[in-house]
Amino acid sequence: MSTPYIEVKNVSYQYADGTQALAGINLNIAEGEFIALIGQNGSGKTTLSKCLNGLFKPTSGDVIVDGLNSKDTPVVQMVKRVGYVFQNPDHQLFNSNCWDEIAYGPRNIQLDEEEVRERVTEAARVVGLPEEYFNEHPFFLSKGLRQRVAIASILALRPRVIIVDEPTTGQDARQSIEIMDFLCDLNEKLGHTIIIVTHDMPIVGAYARRVIAMGQGRILADGTTREVFRLSEVLAQTYIEPPQITQLAQCVQHLGFDPGTLSVDEMLDQMHKLLGK
Amino acid sequence: MPAVIEIHNYSWQYLNTDTPALKEINLQVEEGVFLGIIGPNGSGKTSLAYSLNGLIPGQYHGIKHGTVTVLGKEVEQYGRGELQQQVGVVFSDPEAQFTAMTVEDELVFGMENLGMTIPEIRERLEWVTELAQLGPLLTKPPYEISGGQKQRVALAAVLAMTPRIMVLDEPTSMLDPISRKRVFDVLQELKKEQNNTIIVIEHSLENLIPLADRMVLLSGGSLILEEETHAFFQNSDLLLEHGITPPGAVLFFQKLVRDGLYQGLLPLTVKEAAKNIEELFIREQGDKA
Amino acid sequence: MNKTLLGYVPNQSPIYAIHPFVKLYFLLVVSLFPLFIADPVWNILLMAVIVILMWYSRVNMRTLRIYVPIAISMGTIILISYTVLGGTHPEYSLIFQPLGINIYWERIRDAIVVYFRILPMIFTMVFFLSTSRERDMIVAMRSVKVPFVITYVFAMALRAAGMVLEDFQIVRQAEQARGFDTTGKSIGYKIRKYVMYMIPLFALSLRRSEEFTNALIARGYAFTGEASKVKRADYILTHYPFKTYDFILIALISLFFVTLLVLRYGFGFFSVDQSLLINFLRSLLVR
Repeated sequence: MSTPYIEVKNVSYQYADGTQALAGINLNIAEGEFIALIGQNGSGKTTLSKCLNGLFKPTSGDVIVDGLNSKDTPVVQMVKRVGYVFQNPDHQLFNSNCWDEIAYGPRNIQLDEEEVRERVTEAARVVGLPEEYFNEHPFFLSKGLRQRVAIASILALRPRVIIVDEPTTGQDARQSIEIMDFLCDLNEKLGHTIIIVTHDMPIVGAYARRVIAMGQGRILADGTTREVFRLSEVLAQTYIEPPQITQLAQCVQHLGFDPGTLSVDEMLDQMHKLLGK
Repeated sequence: MPAVIEIHNYSWQYLNTDTPALKEINLQVEEGVFLGIIGPNGSGKTSLAYSLNGLIPGQYHGIKHGTVTVLGKEVEQYGRGELQQQVGVVFSDPEAQFTAMTVEDELVFGMENLGMTIPEIRERLEWVTELAQLGPLLTKPPYEISGGQKQRVALAAVLAMTPRIMVLDEPTSMLDPISRKRVFDVLQELKKEQNNTIIVIEHSLENLIPLADRMVLLSGGSLILEEETHAFFQNSDLLLEHGITPPGAVLFFQKLVRDGLYQGLLPLTVKEAAKNIEELFIREQGDKA
Repeated sequence: MNKTLLGYVPNQSPIYAIHPFVKLYFLLVVSLFPLFIADPVWNILLMAVIVILMWYSRVNMRTLRIYVPIAISMGTIILISYTVLGGTHPEYSLIFQPLGINIYWERIRDAIVVYFRILPMIFTMVFFLSTSRERDMIVAMRSVKVPFVITYVFAMALRAAGMVLEDFQIVRQAEQARGFDTTGKSIGYKIRKYVMYMIPLFALSLRRSEEFTNALIARGYAFTGEASKVKRADYILTHYPFKTYDFILIALISLFFVTLLVLRYGFGFFSVDQSLLINFLRSLLVR
């Protein structure tokens, strides 16, 4: 079996005020996975994801990324491997035009201007940012475009793993599907490992292949989306409800429905089969 | 029931924009109705909400056509502070609405602005604290409470001013599921206890639908559809065309209708849907027998 | 301990029984004492009294350790400013001349006097911040009828400061997530690059200010005109009635202050010349 790209070995994290945010986390993440990290606020999801890219150093235990231990590796080396897109794009826009914004990361890691130009062009193309926006101030763009600029600015660092915090918050259904389709392309066509930290369970059901459910600083469940959604008692501990269609399937599982049903079409197929139609 | 809100041929275009945010809106809302407003981002939902409590045109510059009448008077005819007593608004960002340094101060701020007396304030404070379950939080500063708790505080603070109409603009968009549910629990209690007219703008349809008496679809600044909730979701193609994905249970039954397996009103909750499926199976087994 | 925007306060303390205005009055008046006391011995005694009050109020004395480096650096700066950078004064008593720099006794004396004037002021402020929540400061101001607009702006400033601090932490992490690293760089580089923090902080504040304003209007707050003249009930003050001992404490603080002024200006107390410590040091240093 090949070495996982990220290994989390018995990691604990305690904040300065004494709050135990993580307790004994063990986890492996291979390249090319699409993972949803779910859990109630305060469950440790954000703390764990910041430990993965070196922003937080574990109080105990180790986070090994691409063979590098985060405790001994400067953050600037870690972020080249694990990118982190914050929930609010306004927290991560530092420049007066979109070009410089996307170039900010590559310039920070001391790439020459030719390489910077290549990466910025590529990242903008991948996120679908038209050239006419390159000279625009990010502050004046719509939220959706600001989010794309934020993702592009991380992509320009070419990390193998991209963590996106709440990609669909504040988005309508169409925008949510757009952003998730885009992350799906990054995963399936370009091979990036995608980790989404989210409360949006329909999105988890539709896109994530693996779900890690957290509660009180621990991992309560880790498996395929279907497997985790079947664990209704575990999910109840996280105070997270599965998507409505899954809940419906669980209510009528005594009729033969799969309690891990993920989509309306799946439910419909089962309906037809069970009714003999 | 008399209409508390009457919007007649209302259009609004912000200054320095190319297209109106709202186009020829005609809408009447009766007293005591729980109205859900949905639509893609940029469809004008927030502009409509702001038009009801005077933020438009009071705070924003633009061009207005048509009329917005609240409780029999056009919004421009209200004096400063008068309309806000009748129409309470809760916004989407829990952080930006918390202006005081403790929960209790936040709850009484609006009441003090209205010139209420201490006994009145005390009575209202007790009521909203009970309704929104804020008892243990009264002395806490904003940085010690969660976003969901802050949003309940915002809701309670506005309720304490006893508005006849409550408008909530995406109140749960920044909240986690359990906080979202708690906010909707408060709205459910409110609906049972009081006769407020409640207008909620939301993307989270699963929580909204069970409470809403009527639904409105806005898209591109225009009012596309306005119906009683059950009838509203019969229009699945129209909803999908405007980027609205009904909750899973509703979508599932829409497809059952399409496949000829189900006739009747679409269930709006998981419980209703499960019951309908069981009845369907019993009927099918009965037919086979 | 409970964390506030400005420090830590004990969960329970006898000082919470005192009206917040009395604490504010103590801060404002007692922090003026050192201005009228030149003798460092008396200022050291004042500091000791404040430390005892802190201990009695159950302030976590370990949090005072964070002020030790500040006290040491401040003392060093004052000493260097007065001595090394104090210039040439032939009328003063020259003690020694390291590397050609004239060190005078009078300048050392003045540095000690100034240092032991500033320290008790800081201690008084620390005592206040270690025993007061944000609400206490607002109650203190409102109870003496400071105009509502002023107290509300103060409260909003505290609230805004809290939000900016939270945002700052996230912005800092976001910068690091983009490979921003100042390790090994010059101080000029660091200062230039830290200006970048301002851009997202301003953007967030600008967006929030619009929402803040809308929220204030939605709560019926009128900034100007007739509606702004409504009589406010000031409900918060109903939780903070003045008690007899509050008035006694205010009277005592005032009495101490008046006594200090009388002794200082009427009888020449607290002067440098009467100081045991200063005289002792002079005897050691001046031949």
